[in-house]
Amino acid sequence: MLKDWKLHIIVLVFVLIGEAIGVKQFNLGVGTIALFPMLYVLIMGGIVSFPKLKWLNEGQMKKAAGILGISFLLFVAKLGSMLGPSLPKIFDAGVSLAVQEVGHVLGTIIIGLPIALLIGMKREAIGATFSIDREPNLAIISEKYGADSPEGRGALGVYICGTVFGAIYLAMLAGFLGSLGIFHPISLAMGAGVGSGSMMAAASGALAVTFPNDAEDIALFAAAANLISTILGTYLCVFFSLPVTARLYEWLEPKIGRTRKEAAK
Amino acid sequence: MLEKTKVLALIGIIAILGNWVGYDVSPIKALPGMILIVLFTIIGLGLNTLIPKMPAVVWISLIALIATTPIFPGNEWIVEKTGEINFMALATPILAYAGLSLGKDLESFKKLGWRIVVISLVVYTGTFLFATLFAEIVFKLQGRF
Repeated sequence: MLKDWKLHIIVLVFVLIGEAIGVKQFNLGVGTIALFPMLYVLIMGGIVSFPKLKWLNEGQMKKAAGILGISFLLFVAKLGSMLGPSLPKIFDAGVSLAVQEVGHVLGTIIIGLPIALLIGMKREAIGATFSIDREPNLAIISEKYGADSPEGRGALGVYICGTVFGAIYLAMLAGFLGSLGIFHPISLAMGAGVGSGSMMAAASGALAVTFPNDAEDIALFAAAANLISTILGTYLCVFFSLPVTARLYEWLEPKIGRTRKEAAK
Repeated sequence: MLEKTKVLALIGIIAILGNWVGYDVSPIKALPGMILIVLFTIIGLGLNTLIPKMPAVVWISLIALIATTPIFPGNEWIVEKTGEINFMALATPILAYAGLSLGKDLESFKKLGWRIVVISLVVYTGTFLFATLFAEIVFKLQGRF
């Protein structure tokens, strides 16, 4: 991985350019959109890896994904070093932290499943909406239904979407919701602690840009929420989210599901 | 493990340079903090190979957390040094690598139907919104803000 100098040099150049541009905020009237270095480098990287340009080969892209996983560990260590001195503050918000995890788990199902059925998805809906479908969730669904089942395809579809635009979308959403002034920055930070590395980084980054005075607290509570999701995530998925989604599907599908000859891909 | 250590050090250097450009912290000032962060990560990874039941990220968080709590010797120095690294600067390289890996999923993405794209947006919105909402409700009930 160290030998992939091309990748590392591109990343270094992009990081320097991105940090030099810095934060830009655009007012949309109702709220603001925050643009910041993480998003610039993500987009620049996406352009370079565009298959038609043939600047990077498949192997290099896979390596980049591997290094992404390792680089996230440093981010985790940094966030951990912010947690230590703030433990009293975190315990103080303990109830909220516990309850927000319920929100993370239920949030995908409550609005995801009915909408999936209304637009005509069949059993794919179970895989697509039982979680945010990152790697651990994919493993759970393929173990239960098989990777090639409708449920497995639904989960994989959301996984692919997440890789392609999850981080950008969550950053936009977090920044926008933050700028509306409905929610407190700390509540939003917990929302940003979703169980995916780049999504959490981008969403908490957008919040830190929107609320510069609360940047430290935002990182802190996003990290705490993410840690809870990581620890409990697998268990919640196996014993709660997946069975509940499957049950709800059986109950809701005859009521609001649309009849189609061919199930949605 | 050695390979991983080298990669971690390299990303650390990239982040230090980004931290310099974006947050005006000189690399010399940032270096001790970054060495500590890399060290926490390596110790966490080591513990993960010994006791793999717990995910690496949990081990790493735990190590970094313990080293910065008031009970740990020298915690003040550790907090001060790691504080020189802005968390945003450390996240920028992650997203750059994420960008560079994007192309590999583009072909499969093109084959997806519109429904799954819509639902993935709904799913991400749902998880973010509900977690935020639930946290906010609890804070409001407790009279925090």
